[in-house]
Amino acid sequence: MVKAAVFLLALLLAACQAAETDVIVFAVATPPSVLDPRLASDAASERTNNLLYERLVALDDNGRAQPGMATWQRITPTQYRLTLRSQRARFWNNRLPEPVDVVATYRSLLDSALGSPHTGALAHVDKVMEAGEDAVDFHLTRPDPVFPTRLTIGIVPAEAIQGHNLSRKPLGSGSFVFVEWRDDGGLLLERRRDGQRIALVPVADPTMRTLKLISGEAQLLQNDLPSELYRYLAAQPGLSLDEHAGTTFAYLGFNLADPILANPDVRLAIAHAIDRQAIIEHLFDGRAEPAESVLRPRHWAGSADLKAHRYDPELARDYLRRAGYDTARPLQLSYKTSTDAFRLRIAHVLQSQLHDIGIRLKIASYDWGTFFGDIKNGSFQMYSLAWVGVNTPDILRYAFHSDSTPPAGANRGRYASPEVDALIERAEMADPDGASALYAEVQRRVHRDLVYVPLWYESNVVASRGLSGYRPTQDGSYLALNAVRITNE
Amino acid sequence: MRTLAEQLTDTLVVLFGVSTLVFLLLVLIPGDPVDVVLGESAQAADRAAMRASLGLDRPLGERWLDFYADLASGDLGTSLIRRQPVADLIMQRLPATLQLAAAAFLIVVLIAIPLGILAARHRGRWPDRLAQTFALFGLSIPNFWLGPLLVLLFSVQLGWTPVSGNLAPGSLILPAITLGLSMAAITTRMMRSSLLEIESQAFLRTARCKGLGEVAVLLRHSLPNAMLPVITVLGMQLGSLLAGAVITEVVFAWPGIGSLLIDAIRQRDYPVVQGVVLCIAFAYVLTNRLADLFAAWLDPRVHEAN
Repeated sequence: MVKAAVFLLALLLAACQAAETDVIVFAVATPPSVLDPRLASDAASERTNNLLYERLVALDDNGRAQPGMATWQRITPTQYRLTLRSQRARFWNNRLPEPVDVVATYRSLLDSALGSPHTGALAHVDKVMEAGEDAVDFHLTRPDPVFPTRLTIGIVPAEAIQGHNLSRKPLGSGSFVFVEWRDDGGLLLERRRDGQRIALVPVADPTMRTLKLISGEAQLLQNDLPSELYRYLAAQPGLSLDEHAGTTFAYLGFNLADPILANPDVRLAIAHAIDRQAIIEHLFDGRAEPAESVLRPRHWAGSADLKAHRYDPELARDYLRRAGYDTARPLQLSYKTSTDAFRLRIAHVLQSQLHDIGIRLKIASYDWGTFFGDIKNGSFQMYSLAWVGVNTPDILRYAFHSDSTPPAGANRGRYASPEVDALIERAEMADPDGASALYAEVQRRVHRDLVYVPLWYESNVVASRGLSGYRPTQDGSYLALNAVRITNE
Repeated sequence: MRTLAEQLTDTLVVLFGVSTLVFLLLVLIPGDPVDVVLGESAQAADRAAMRASLGLDRPLGERWLDFYADLASGDLGTSLIRRQPVADLIMQRLPATLQLAAAAFLIVVLIAIPLGILAARHRGRWPDRLAQTFALFGLSIPNFWLGPLLVLLFSVQLGWTPVSGNLAPGSLILPAITLGLSMAAITTRMMRSSLLEIESQAFLRTARCKGLGEVAVLLRHSLPNAMLPVITVLGMQLGSLLAGAVITEVVFAWPGIGSLLIDAIRQRDYPVVQGVVLCIAFAYVLTNRLADLFAAWLDPRVHEAN
């Protein structure tokens, strides 16, 4: 027994290694899992890949394409030439990215054998060809005036396309290089400019993430905390809290194929019964702002003139009475959500607000797979979800075109409007100025038809200790790590 | 008398049942692996190609047979998200889980057995009541609450241990205590009741009449006989330490198979979920069998009964 105890104690001590002191520890709720930009689809992996790989094109806060490692020129409506910039960054092995790398990256994306989640968005690319020493031509099967906005996937070296597991050992030309996967499941990166190392360390539990920052084991947190923990962090000495308006758009979805919710009066009653401002103030602690559409008003394809369905319980009761429901004949509806504690808390507030106007909301909470499966299958009356990182108007086809009913897209509410379909199709063929007006009209109609109740944009919040230079961005990207530095204050 | 071969056959039958159940559950639960890989915007042709490449277009029976053929060769499939063999992922994470389980098991043994003996020896008096109170607390406090409480005290207030992770010195201590405490509580009660049960047995009276001291009676006669049910419980606990480590691993960001399982469930990475659940189930079955064998070795009556 004693020998066994000594052995196990030795094991316990052997499990402990020396702590690092010169590394900025960024505690994240979810670690990146795929470091191949062609295969990544989750937010954590995409944000990390943007540090490791340079892209042909980047999108600004308003969704407009900006030159990345290349500039572009529309040769014909179905042909774009991307010219690599002379001052582009080099790969990890000091080799300059060449057209052959761009061609290899995009050809592999078009190959269904790769199994990339990005292949669908490039389905109209017919071929990709080198065009001289520093240019690449993309030939399309149909005109696409905003095609450059689709070229935001990191470029990988041609020699790494075959036989190299980029997911585990990334090789890019981004501002950071991969150092190693840490034993704690995290990832160690090194900034190429000055050698500053940054560890992305997974800590799933929000309370523990907070305590890690307070104890000084971590220097940086971003998002994924309940509002009471932000309040707690704000009161701690030595910590700073910074926030920026975000693009994560939360909405309350309706099943328009449901006979009750097909009635616009019922949907209007619900929209006017929800006090968004109170939810933002009390549940988000003010760290969100009311939203009217999935695209922010300042987005190039956004709509700035959408009028909110104001909180008005009396008006809501009127709509409900007009739909044939009152206190003697209350309306019963079901609402599906995930098991996330914060989303459940929001569901209970919505339940209470709808109860005030005579709607009995039955909340059903499921694990993510079951919940999302039900939403896609149309097995729901109401639900709530959020769009994360949306920055192109493609979302409007994806979410509202009648051809996009799951599994072909994300028109989960089964919305069918020939006018909206036609507007989307016209916008896709129009030049950006014309498309902007058409997309705005799509959003006006979706808003008028109350396909969903738009709720809010959740802010990006950063808490840090002993650091300067990290400013949260609108899309929650990690690119702010390019400027972060240790101050030890 | 059952032979070792018969016991091994029983174990294999149980493992077969468990693995079939895991295979069927993963097939039946909602969610499409093709969506996981390609997302919702995928073209129909790409979806069909991916479905074929994952073998999802084949009959269930055929997939079941393939599953066993792969399992027999140690192939647990490939992660849909990480594109790595599931067996490799498990092998990367298993040592951390085993470390945590071993440390927690050490805590169970070091706390529960002395405390159970103390409680039985002083039945009805304050040491007994103290042990019972400890057991009650240990059983009542859930790991996800106890963990942060310990961290607040020992990491944030006192600064003795790291908050989470497995790299800093002393990082194993709090997760091991969190995981081991509730199990120590069960084992303490088992040890106490088992000792009290044999207290009135004739062989103990005989030992005392022969003039043996209380310590010798305890060590030579009481403990070996009282340990039998305790070993059975410890065997079960060793298995559940692997399964029960899931919550503790998530709370303490301990990079074991428990946190791998949670990540895989969140990402709907079905092959990884299947592999980890199988691994935990196999560990559970094997530790129980080992406990049976140990009990039989310790007490010939068990061997005879078998």
